[in-house]
Order: sequence, then structure tokens, then C-alpha cells
Amino acid sequence: MLELRGITTGYGAVPVVHGIDLTVRAGEIVTLVGANGAGKTTLVKTISGLLRAQKGQILFEGQRIETLSPRARVLLGIAHVPEGRQTFAGLTVAENLELGGYVHRKRGGEEIQQRMKQVCQRFPVLQERIHEVVSNFSGGQHQMLAIARGLMASPKLLVLDEPSLGLSPTLVSQIFQLIASLRDQGTAILLSEQNAHLSLAIADRGYVIENGCFTISGEGRKLLQSADIAERYLGVGASLGTVNKDRDEKITRKLRQLMLD
Amino acid sequence: MIPIIVGGLLQGSVFAMVALGFALVYRVTGVINLSQGAFCVIGALITYTLERTLGWPVGLAVTGAVLGTTVFGIMLGAATFVPSLARLPNSSMLMLTAGLLTFIEGLLLVVWGSDPYDLPPFSGEMPVTIMGVRVPTQGFWIAGTTLIVILVLWYLLSRTMLGKELRACAENPLAARLMGIDVPRMTVLSFGLAAMIGAVGGIVVAPITSLQFDSGNFFTIYGFIAVAIGGMGSFVGAVVGGLILGVVQQLAAGYVSSLFSDGLAVIVLLATLLVRPSGLFAVGVARRQDVRDEQGVQLSVIRFNGRQTAFLGVLAVVLLAALPWLVPQSSGLLSSLVITGILFIGVLGLDVLMGYTGQVSLGQAGFMAIGGYTAAILAVKLGWPPLLGTAAGMVLSLISALILSLATMRLRGVYLALATLAFGLLIDSLAIGMMATTGGPSGLVGIPSFSIGSLSFATPFSMYYLVLGLIIVLILLLLGGMRSSFGRALQAIRTDQTAAAALDINVERYKVAVFAISAALASLSGSLYAFFFHFLSPEMVDTSRSFEMVTMLVIGGAGTLVGPLLGAALLTLLPEIFQPFALYKTLAEGILLVLTFQYLPAGIFGSLAGWLLRFTNRQTLIQASDVRLVKDESR
Repeated sequence: MLELRGITTGYGAVPVVHGIDLTVRAGEIVTLVGANGAGKTTLVKTISGLLRAQKGQILFEGQRIETLSPRARVLLGIAHVPEGRQTFAGLTVAENLELGGYVHRKRGGEEIQQRMKQVCQRFPVLQERIHEVVSNFSGGQHQMLAIARGLMASPKLLVLDEPSLGLSPTLVSQIFQLIASLRDQGTAILLSEQNAHLSLAIADRGYVIENGCFTISGEGRKLLQSADIAERYLGVGASLGTVNKDRDEKITRKLRQLMLD
Repeated sequence: MIPIIVGGLLQGSVFAMVALGFALVYRVTGVINLSQGAFCVIGALITYTLERTLGWPVGLAVTGAVLGTTVFGIMLGAATFVPSLARLPNSSMLMLTAGLLTFIEGLLLVVWGSDPYDLPPFSGEMPVTIMGVRVPTQGFWIAGTTLIVILVLWYLLSRTMLGKELRACAENPLAARLMGIDVPRMTVLSFGLAAMIGAVGGIVVAPITSLQFDSGNFFTIYGFIAVAIGGMGSFVGAVVGGLILGVVQQLAAGYVSSLFSDGLAVIVLLATLLVRPSGLFAVGVARRQDVRDEQGVQLSVIRFNGRQTAFLGVLAVVLLAALPWLVPQSSGLLSSLVITGILFIGVLGLDVLMGYTGQVSLGQAGFMAIGGYTAAILAVKLGWPPLLGTAAGMVLSLISALILSLATMRLRGVYLALATLAFGLLIDSLAIGMMATTGGPSGLVGIPSFSIGSLSFATPFSMYYLVLGLIIVLILLLLGGMRSSFGRALQAIRTDQTAAAALDINVERYKVAVFAISAALASLSGSLYAFFFHFLSPEMVDTSRSFEMVTMLVIGGAGTLVGPLLGAALLTLLPEIFQPFALYKTLAEGILLVLTFQYLPAGIFGSLAGWLLRFTNRQTLIQASDVRLVKDESR
């Protein structure tokens, strides 16, 4: 569905990501794991068109898209949920969602309303506060809204950048459940995450990015079990059994259980 | 009382419309567009031409003028404002729009000349009497139009998809792009819409106040004050602020003196800024001024090494010392050179403040006025020697700077620019209003020549060497200062105030010190100016002069000590050399400023020095075009 061939990209003249190849197939969750500053966000921005690739090709459903505007890419079916609380803070939930369906506005207001109802079914919190201005929402609600807004464009591929950033463990597990269920309903997902443990647990496949290059790739669970990854990305703390290992493992177990149900 | 308030409300309606334009562009871009007021004048003057010269019916003429202004606004915005948004920090954007204001005024001067124009009232001269108060019919047009503009704008922004798009760009341009919104197009649209509102305001008010090419200044300043009182970016605030301002101004004119009406408006503004910097109606989503405005990156790293500096310095001094013998004695060129030097001293102060420390000031001429008037009045009325008068002016300026900088300590970016603008206007209005001491609008005459003891500097020739000597001493002092820990602390403050404070740099103390240096230099420049001309009038040291000094700084190269000299020389000498083209001076100034911002962000000297350095050292310089601002990602 999405294919990156030899993508080099960065800010101004300085490349941050060097010659990367990546594939996302239909109905897959693909995880991008890497430390701070490895180039995850840069790569994701290049996919949605916020940044132009300096070299290489991006194919979406067989079509070259690397020179298209963000708008054209949304129309083709790529929705990017950016990192951090990138909602429209002074607007209401409903207005945020309407703007999410902005590219499809020619199809008429009714269809947008319809879509909004569907999307809100997944997010009861948003439904409750639909006419409230979102500026004083909590971090989790902002993230939910950002994802919901991404879904308004009825994407074929949802690109999520750090959805777990700054959220409580309960919320993180809720969001990861949601991501898994979206995949099960046919939306392909590209997930960029620092939380390697959780994101690899739900991923079909994963890529490890280091200093702008892919170092390892493979099936999500295999990556999770590989000693190399554990040491490098789950932190030395992971093997020593400190930091958040217990918490993460508990969530992972719960997630797996839920996904099996 | 009531007629005055009615008059104030009418005047205020127009300020409100200008303020609405400000608020609109500010909401979408985070930039105060100082050219806003000029669109009022464009609208009114086009209407005049269509109606009076070409004989079109009123309705058609007004429609044509509004459309014409809007199209002009859209083209201007698309060509200059929007492309620069991605490249310039917000403080430079403010200056760019000041350049646009100058550009439009220059254009109006070339097309319509300097005559004032009056439109006839739309529906007859006979005022209507309501409950004993006579209201001119045009008043109903003004009130009605304001109401309609407010309602349409409210409907557009809150009820239509276009409004949501505009608000989305205002709230979060990055996310707006991800939604597929064309952010640059929306920005151009908001600029055009603001121009349209300005045109409408200008046209309805033209029958009750005559307008000329530079009335845009007036509208911009009052509109700016109105938004600041109401709350930056708030639409309700813009309207309320405009109305309050109109009433205050008319009351002051009615009960005190029309000479003081500006002063009172400015005092209301200063009070608002000090007590409630965010204005009466703070916007729900506060923009973080500190973050947005202080992203001024060092545009390029220019530093000659010691030997180069010494060589170029000696070369420059020799050239400058020889200059008086090279210019024809009979021409006024030598006088222009002296004026260049005098103004340069003031711009040097501005450079320390703006170029090195990043504190935007639109009131530098205010300190020139203090220095000029103090020295001149002491010399003329009390017979003090010029040197003592100049010193007294500097002391007074230092005291004013101390008060101003302590009062505005909390303000940054656009708010600081506003406060300094207000200060300049206040001094301006004092100079006009205190007729007995300053001579009022017609100025102070009979100022003696500058002298030190028995040594008199009565000729341009002697004055030239005095100023040159002063400049050399000042540059050497500042060169040392800016390369010491003091200078580094200033540059740290410019880059990031919060980070500077975290490094244990006492930001407050440095800011006060810099304000003081800047004021003292401006004051010195003002005193010399008065002694050289033997005459001083308020318009020689008014707010346009402040803007001109900023222009000189930017064109020459802010953050370089020598750069502003080029800027001062260019703006002072060019009109002198091309006397027959004096008509085009303002236009050329505006174009120069806009072009400099767009193509030479480091100024003429910065670009020249960068080129020289690359030529001699072959070292790689960080080019402005390679440095992308963080905010730019979203555009």
C-alpha cells in the first residue's frame, strides 16, 4: 500500500534520514521504533507531505506521491496524526472533527455529519463534550481528538506519531487497543513510537531507526524478543528489571488478552 | 457633552474597523500588520477619483474602490507578506509591515499628490436632529457600516466553513496543513479581507475628515492602540477598544485641547499596557509572545578578525576624513553628510537595543526630541552653553529611559513595540502641546550653533569633523562593549530571554542598561540635530522619524555597528542627490525596506561583509536561507 524507496529527507539542506526503504501493506500495523532524534518524526512528516523528500520515491497504492501537497495526500487516503497536542484549541470538538473531514467537504455536510457520528462511537468522551471548546481538555482527550480528527478523512493509511507521549498507562493501553481495532477493520497503520515494548507488541512488523537509518526490521514479536532490541531500545533498565518494565509488561499482557477476545 | 460623545463614537467606529483588520490578520498569522491603516486611505482616494474625477455614481464608485483596494491588498500580501512569514521572525515581520505602510504612502503620494481630499457626504449635508443633538447624516452611514462589518465578520468566522478554515490556520497552522487546508492561501485571504475592511472604513469616514497620502499613519497608530486596549486578536476587544479610543480622543479635544488629544489616547494605552497587558478582552487562546517573537535567529555570523577590522577601520576613517574635500563646496551635500552622521548616532543606539538585544523600539525619536528640546530650550531661553544643555538632555533622557524600561519590563515583542510607540507619541504630543516652552507645532527658532567653550562649530565643515570624531569614539567604545561579556549577554537575551535568565544573566538589569545607552545616544543625536539646524519642530523628531530610523537600521544591517551608517547615508543622501525625484522618496524608502527584508535579511552591510568574508577567508558562513525558523515548519 505504502512504499518508500531510498528516501532521504531533512530540514533545509541538512539530511536527517538517509536512504530509507519501508513498506506498509494493507491491513497491517507497522511500527517505527527509535530513540529521540533518530528521525522518526522527520520520516513521518515526509510521508504526509509536510516535508519534501530530498531523494527517493514514495508510492501509495502504486502511485508516485513524493511531490504532492499534503492536501492531495489526504485526498488519496493518508491521514497523519501529528505528535503532541496538535488540535485546534480554540475550536469545539465538532469543529475540529469537521476540519478533519475538510478535504471531503464537497461530498456535502450530511456525509460529514454521518462520519462524525461513526467516529464518535469509538470515542464516547468526545461525544459527551462535542460542543465544548477543546482548549482545556486533558492530554488523553487531546490525543483521542487528534486521532478521531484523523479518522474523519476516512483514511486508508493512518500515520500516528507518538500517540502515547505523556499519557497515563491506562490511557496508553486504551489508545493501543483502539489502534489494534482500527487495523482489524481494515485501516493500515504506521505507528512511530518511542515506547518500543508496547508498540512492537501490537505490530505486525517493525523497523528500528537509528541516526536516520534502519538498522533492524522484522516481525513485531520477534523484534520484541530479540536480545539486541531489548538491550538497546527497551533500555538497559529493561534487562535489570527496573524502570517501567513491570508496568509495561502488565499492559502488554492485558493488551494481548484483549486482542485475543 | 453628548454631541462630543456621539462624535467620539463615530470616530471610534472607524478606529474599530481598522482594529478589526488588525485582529483578523493577527489571529491568522500572529503578526501585527502596520500597513492596515493605509488601506483606508487607498479606498477613500480611489472613491474620490472614481466619483469626482470620472463622475461615477456614488454606489458604483464605492464598490469599485472597495474591490480595487481588496485586489491590491491581496496582491501585496501574496507578493510580500505571506512569503516572508516563513522566513522572518515576528519582530522583523512587524518592521516589514511598517515598510509596506511607507511603500503605500509613497505610492499614494506619487499618484494623488500631497493635497488633502474630501468626499461629499453620501446623503446630503443637512444634519439630523435627534433629541436635541445634531448628528451629521454621514454618522448613520458610519455607524451602520461598522455594525454590518462586525456582523458579517462574525457570521463568516463562526458560521461558515471558510471561517473555520481561517480559525484553524490561526490556531494551529501545522495541523491545518495536515487537514488539507492551503495555509498560505488562507493567509493571503485574511490579508485581503483586512484590506477590504480598511477600505470600507476609510470610505465612510472620508466625508467627515479629509484624508491625504499619509493619513494611513494616523489610522494605523489609532487602530493599533485600539487593538491593544481591547486585547490583541479579540474581535469584540477591537470594537470596544476603538469606541473607547474615539470617545477619549474627542473628550480630550473638546475639554482640554486638540493639541493634547493624542497624548490622552496614549496615556490610556500606556495605562492598559501596564495594568492589563493582554487588553480588556484577552483572547481565549493566548499566543505565547515570548516564544513566537524571540525566534529571531542570528541571520548570519559575521565577524572580521582583528587585522581585517583594523585595516577596514583605518581605511574607512581615512576615506571619511577626506570626504569634505571631495564633495563640491557649494552644494548642500556636506550638510547632508553631517545630518547622516547625526542621525547615525541615534540609529547606533537603536542598533544596540534592537540589533543586539532584540528589543523592538518604535519610539527612538522620542528620546531625540527630549535631547533636542532640552538642549535647545536651555540654550535659547536660559542662555546655557550647548555642551551643558546637551548633557542636561542626556540626563533627562536617561531618567525617561529608566522609567520607561522599568514600566515596560514585563512586556516583550509586539507589546514592547507598542509601549515604545506610545512613548514616542506622548513626547510628540507634549512637544506640540506645550506651546509656551517648545513653540508648539511651528517649532523653536533661534537655536545657537554647537560650541565647546569658545570653540564654535558654526559651519557644516567644522560640524562634520565634530560628528565624525564622536562617531569614531562611539564605535570604538561599542565595538569593545559588544565583544565583551556585556555584548554576549545582550545577544543571549536576544536569542532567548528565558534561557539567558537561566544562565544567571540578570535580564532586567541588562535591559535597563541597554535602554539607557540607546536613549543617551538618541538624545545626543537630537541635541546635535537642533544645534545644526538652528531650529527644531515636532515633526523633525516625530514617530515617522522613529520609523525612518528603524528603516535605516534594517537596510544597513541590524546587529552590525557600521551597517546603520550605510542605511542612514542611503536614506539621507539619495533624496539630496536626486532632488527632482523628491516625490518618490517615500516610495523608494518603502520599496527598499521591503526588498531588504525579503532579499537581504542581514542588511546591506551584512550581505556585503558576508560576501567579503567568503572572498577573503573562504570560510563557510551560515546563510540566512539555510536557517529555517521553527515556526516555519507549519507554513
